[in-house]
Amino acid sequence: MSSPHEPPPSPSRPDGPSFLGSVARIYDLSFGQMLWSRRTVFMVLVVGGPVAVALILRLLVSMDLFDAGGEIDGRPVNIDGPVIFGLMIWGFYLSFSVPLLGVFYGTSLIADEVEDRTITYLFTRPVPRGAVLVGKYLAYLVCAGLLVLPSVVLVFFLVVPLLGGSVGAGFPDLLKDLALLAVGLAVYGALFALVGALFKRPLLTGLVFIFGWEPVVIVVPGYMKRFTVSYYLQGLVPHAMPEDGGVTSLVLRVLQANEILPSATVGLVGLAVIVIGGLALAVRLVERREYVLEQ
Amino acid sequence: MPIHDQSYRRYAGPRNEPGSAWLVIAAAGIRTLLGRKLFLAVMLAAWGQFFVRAVMFYLSANFPTLNVLAPSVETFRQFFDIQEIFVLFVTVYVGSGLIANDRRSNALQIYLSKPLSRVEYVAGKLGILAFFLLMVTLVPALALLLLEAMFSASLAFLLDNLFLVPAIALYALMEVSLASFTMLALSSLSTSARYTAMLYAGALFFTAAVFGILRGATASSMLAWLSLRANVEQIGDVIFRLPPRFESPWPASALVVLLLIGLSALVLERRVRGVEVVT
Repeated sequence: MSSPHEPPPSPSRPDGPSFLGSVARIYDLSFGQMLWSRRTVFMVLVVGGPVAVALILRLLVSMDLFDAGGEIDGRPVNIDGPVIFGLMIWGFYLSFSVPLLGVFYGTSLIADEVEDRTITYLFTRPVPRGAVLVGKYLAYLVCAGLLVLPSVVLVFFLVVPLLGGSVGAGFPDLLKDLALLAVGLAVYGALFALVGALFKRPLLTGLVFIFGWEPVVIVVPGYMKRFTVSYYLQGLVPHAMPEDGGVTSLVLRVLQANEILPSATVGLVGLAVIVIGGLALAVRLVERREYVLEQ
Repeated sequence: MPIHDQSYRRYAGPRNEPGSAWLVIAAAGIRTLLGRKLFLAVMLAAWGQFFVRAVMFYLSANFPTLNVLAPSVETFRQFFDIQEIFVLFVTVYVGSGLIANDRRSNALQIYLSKPLSRVEYVAGKLGILAFFLLMVTLVPALALLLLEAMFSASLAFLLDNLFLVPAIALYALMEVSLASFTMLALSSLSTSARYTAMLYAGALFFTAAVFGILRGATASSMLAWLSLRANVEQIGDVIFRLPPRFESPWPASALVVLLLIGLSALVLERRVRGVEVVT
């Protein structure tokens, strides 16, 4: 018999799922939606392009229509498979595919639900609002990784053996590239998840950042470049950054004579700060913001 | 007339000439966009180069020691090169939702149930995008040319380079037509403005990346016609009577541009319909 001074037992209330459990549920839901959507067509086009180019190059080499030597702006250049692979990693993946996929998916994690007016259904479920964002972010990461990374592996095996290149010698670089691209997807995704949570028109902001801010600021001497993602990624890339060899490159070389690329440690720390900080801020924003749906 | 009388009565307002309805769509769209602060900020940023160049022209005209800042044909060519990024931003911001949003909200059927032809609808939407694109290309370039004459108090530069006026107009019209038609065609293919914007930016930068890789691999710029941007740049050099920057023949670039505009017009003809037949 209980004592008369003891408080009455509180009415039993079913415990909601934990944060991680909620993340897993949202991830489960979003992954299927992302993978089998019209967007995947866009993604396949983005990552399938380099494979198509690699196939064409291989065909040209096998038909002896491709010369390993040549001149760019009067400078003799000698090209082999690993050099072309390095060019493709820079030109297709690091400068184009990864930032573009980050913008496209990162900004749409929340904006899509708002646009489709389905965010109400998600936010009225017994899951923390932040878990919705994190679950969707993880789904994006896995979905993008599943498409981008195999594409890189295919390009590697198609291109590196060309013109005397060795697959074995280039394999460690492939592993570094895969890790780098995975990190790139994570960083750009987190940054643009924050942009998507912060701005009403996040896509324009994202495009301005990757095609306006980053290419300009990265070549400006001083500390400005530390406010870009590509600065931190640069320190981790195993390939030399391609130059156009023109007057601009010459001027930049003089301007950047005393510039130091970030070390791998600085690069990793910078990227980790962007991922964790970006996601944490995005979660905080989503949890506090009131979404008013347009009628 | 009493307000409660809801029986049929003839329209007593003014009647516009057939074929002028596109102006209503264009004017309404322009007004809407001018009311957005973010868009005004983008337009202001797009005019940033104009102000910088204006200061340079003033200094070169008034301080002989700063003659290095004096304008030349290359100055105007470079002006357009730098404006390319703003052409992208304005195209994406203004153009991505022009038809996609109407398709999303089923407004296309409402539009076309009015005395408005499909051509007028497309022309109205094109008018909105073209207006703002010309505002960041043609207008500042011509204004710069005018400023040069005013600052130097001489028509010598203008008369020596009289071809600049048609060159600026032709280049701006080519760039604006290509951007407007392709973006509008993409917008008609989807119901999501964001998807359309990504498709456009993706196509622009993907073709540039393909050309960049092939240029690096083949040590030749013969394949410049693969890149949307390189085509416009190549034709631009020819229009401004400068040596073309790529080895590929400029008629190939002109052909690609014409084909893209034609293909976009075809897509618009197929996609902008009042009734969609689903089989």
